[in-house]
Amino acid sequence: MEALLEQVAQLPGLLAVSRSALVRAWDAPTLGRALEWARYFQHLHGRFRARPRLRAALGRRLRQGQPGSPLGFRHLGRCAALLGLALLENRALPPAACRRLLQSLLRPGAAAEAPSLALLARRKAASRLLAPAPRPAGSPAALEPQVRAEAQMLLARLREEEEEAEPGGGRAGEARERLRWVAGLLEQLPQPRALRVVAAALQQQRGGDEEGLRGRAGGGHVAGPLLSWLLESQERFSAFCLLLPGSLLASLAAHYSQLRPPYLDLLTAWGSRLLYDPLQGRWHNSCLGEAELSWEELRERFDCLCRGPALLRGQTRAALELLKVQDGDFHICGLSVWTDLLMEVEKSLRKEEEQ
Amino acid sequence: MAQDTAVPKLNFEYWLDKATEWGQATTLESQKDVCRHLPQLQEFLQQIYETLKHMNSIEAIQQFPLIGQLLGRLCWNPFVIGYDESQKTLMWCLCCLYSSEPQNPVELKANSWIRSLLCHLLSSSKWESNEAGTNTFISALGYTSADYYSHLVKNMVLSLVTELKGNQFNGLNIQERVPASRVSEVSLFCLPLITLPDLTPLLETLLLCHGGASQELLSSEFLDAVNEAFLKKKISLSETAIFGLWLRHLPSLEKATLYLLDQLVSIQMTSLEEVACVVKDSLLPQAASHPAIFRVVDEIFKNALLETDGAPEVMTIIQVFTQLFVQAHQNNNKQHKFPLKAYFSRHHQPLVIALLRRPFSTHCSQHLKHISEMLKTLVEDESIRSFVDLFEIWFLIARFGEWLDIAAEQLLKASAEPDALLWLLAFYYSPQNENQQRTQTMVEARGVYDQLVMLFSCTVLSVKDLQAAVHKTDTKQSCTQHLTTHLLTSFLLFSSGGHMIAQEFISHITGTSDASKEVCSLLFRTAYRINRNGERNQRTVKLVNDLLQKLTLKV
Repeated sequence: MEALLEQVAQLPGLLAVSRSALVRAWDAPTLGRALEWARYFQHLHGRFRARPRLRAALGRRLRQGQPGSPLGFRHLGRCAALLGLALLENRALPPAACRRLLQSLLRPGAAAEAPSLALLARRKAASRLLAPAPRPAGSPAALEPQVRAEAQMLLARLREEEEEAEPGGGRAGEARERLRWVAGLLEQLPQPRALRVVAAALQQQRGGDEEGLRGRAGGGHVAGPLLSWLLESQERFSAFCLLLPGSLLASLAAHYSQLRPPYLDLLTAWGSRLLYDPLQGRWHNSCLGEAELSWEELRERFDCLCRGPALLRGQTRAALELLKVQDGDFHICGLSVWTDLLMEVEKSLRKEEEQ
Repeated sequence: MAQDTAVPKLNFEYWLDKATEWGQATTLESQKDVCRHLPQLQEFLQQIYETLKHMNSIEAIQQFPLIGQLLGRLCWNPFVIGYDESQKTLMWCLCCLYSSEPQNPVELKANSWIRSLLCHLLSSSKWESNEAGTNTFISALGYTSADYYSHLVKNMVLSLVTELKGNQFNGLNIQERVPASRVSEVSLFCLPLITLPDLTPLLETLLLCHGGASQELLSSEFLDAVNEAFLKKKISLSETAIFGLWLRHLPSLEKATLYLLDQLVSIQMTSLEEVACVVKDSLLPQAASHPAIFRVVDEIFKNALLETDGAPEVMTIIQVFTQLFVQAHQNNNKQHKFPLKAYFSRHHQPLVIALLRRPFSTHCSQHLKHISEMLKTLVEDESIRSFVDLFEIWFLIARFGEWLDIAAEQLLKASAEPDALLWLLAFYYSPQNENQQRTQTMVEARGVYDQLVMLFSCTVLSVKDLQAAVHKTDTKQSCTQHLTTHLLTSFLLFSSGGHMIAQEFISHITGTSDASKEVCSLLFRTAYRINRNGERNQRTVKLVNDLLQKLTLKV
């Protein structure tokens, strides 16, 4: 067993080397050996997949002493693909070794363990063919499939973590570790993209929770780190709420109770900063150029919240009423933004009921 | 195309020109043109690979100096890469061109270029560029581009399905309807990808997409390609989708029916159960619940029968099909289904109803007599003047041919009043009567029958006895020959004396290959019938199987 663990501990090193310039020194036999190792690791994965204790042991060994992204047991199963593709993209690989690589990856008779590269190439071409028509940049709908795909991979990774996490022991420290790791992951994407991916992930996870797919309460290790990351910085959360449409935010707030108070607080803060222009008869932003919502957008957000499930609706109405009272409990427009908002929201809800 | 081992130079230039013309396939015209040429291009690439794999990279460049240009251009054409196995062959070719010991800067450059192409095809960069954005995210997660594209394609399919279905739920909301041009566009992009399993939901949605237009939205190349892939079992579609395809595209339905016939005629039949399996898998009997489909399939069967002069194998296939059709119709739980008799001509309704009854063990003779009488009335009393009318009635009887086999059996077992049943068989083998052929056949058949019935209860019989009995009647017509063969075979299977001499006698009568096929078909049908009825007559079953073994070995 110890010997096995020693071997498995080689994997991170092997992957790291395959991405570095050290491969310059590799010749064809060396490459052959590396691919052998990959096949061996994949074989191990197959053998131990159904044996939780051994799996956990191997997983733990892989995680030790990892500065970069921690590897898990699952990576053993993906070894051939990981290694093969990493080597393919590494320009430092000398020609002889490269030829050997190409032969073993691409040529007919490449064993079943090797990734189906033909399928990969085909799917990539398919994604080019089926891509939605180019729309104005930044339009969310155009990016949707890509965002969803990234969200699904993120969720899958988080679920793998959850499955391999050690039950109990070092809770607080682990949670911090996990948050740092998630933050590191999301840093790889530009901020607006990262926010969309997290939103899509939370949306999908919510669907999973509702169907009772995850046994553990709230899928703590999956949604938890994402929510923590979102709420970690006020700037980030504010950017999140600005970027995404009100309907999406409302549905997330309905499901994730941790989001409700900060969201309402944020909307309150934005609302409070609006000033009324009596000449034009409308509310507008006081400071230009700051990231805030306009009156229309604010109204839309509250509208969406009030169309949510009963609990959310109740909380939102209560919050608005409280704000209205605190602001002077006026009944006519133009004096308190909260009065006006409440009136608009109630008007639109009444219209809907009549239809 | 000439099947030389060397790739004809002419073809190479042709394809290079094409590839240049197509560019990255950004205009509608170039896209349609690529799609039209995909199968031939794949063959050509296969040929190139076969040539390349025996050379090293230097020889390859010498032989095909422009190969770099060709492969390079094709790699940037998503239609080509997305099609079937073209991407595999292209990558193999690139592999062949890679040199493991580059001697000069040119070779180094070539190697580098090949690496770039492969990265373009396989890494998670965008198609046009080498943008690293998503790349680092995916590797940070510990996934590969294989995982990414798997998810991405599934999500794109989902988006498209949602977009296309948009018009189906908002039946009255016309603004929401997806424009015909969009449906057409999507079907064009799907063309190379039909055999990619991820696409199945999108294919199904497209096949059920009508948009209310009177014109066909989907291109006929698309519908053809989907049909081909389905027939070759490269994809599996839901019944609704495939029926939708056949209903909207007649050539596909015709192709499917002819394909079924070809399949069945060419396989070495070992049992009708096997045939029934193949027919059922084709989904045609189930599809035929749609009267329009039933009619088309029927026409094709009739033509096949006429063209092969009523070959027994084709007749058997039609009979099996009809049985499965009736079965599928009865198992169909849909509310709005047509009654079975609606599929057949309304002139023949009472006869149809009688034929549709499942044969049962008791009162069989009575029912057969009833059928025979109705048939006789139809044929003799009505103004059947044209060949077509007569053929229709004949075809009706023929397709429910199980009754004929039962008639032959009952003739020998239940000895009272054979005329009605004999007439049934006489009509089948000799439908026309302008020159009294049928009447003559009837007379001759009666003669044979009388002889056989006398021998039916004999427990000990010799081949000579039987032969003598048969030859007592002077049979001039060939139709009577067929009828006689039918009666004789039934005799051998169902009489106690006949069992003993069956092997020998059948070897004797199957001297000609014609009779051999007839006897074979009858044996197959009998085995099938006995198995379906769950009869316990083990002796007969064993005999049939033995005879079949001997006969099929001969062929």
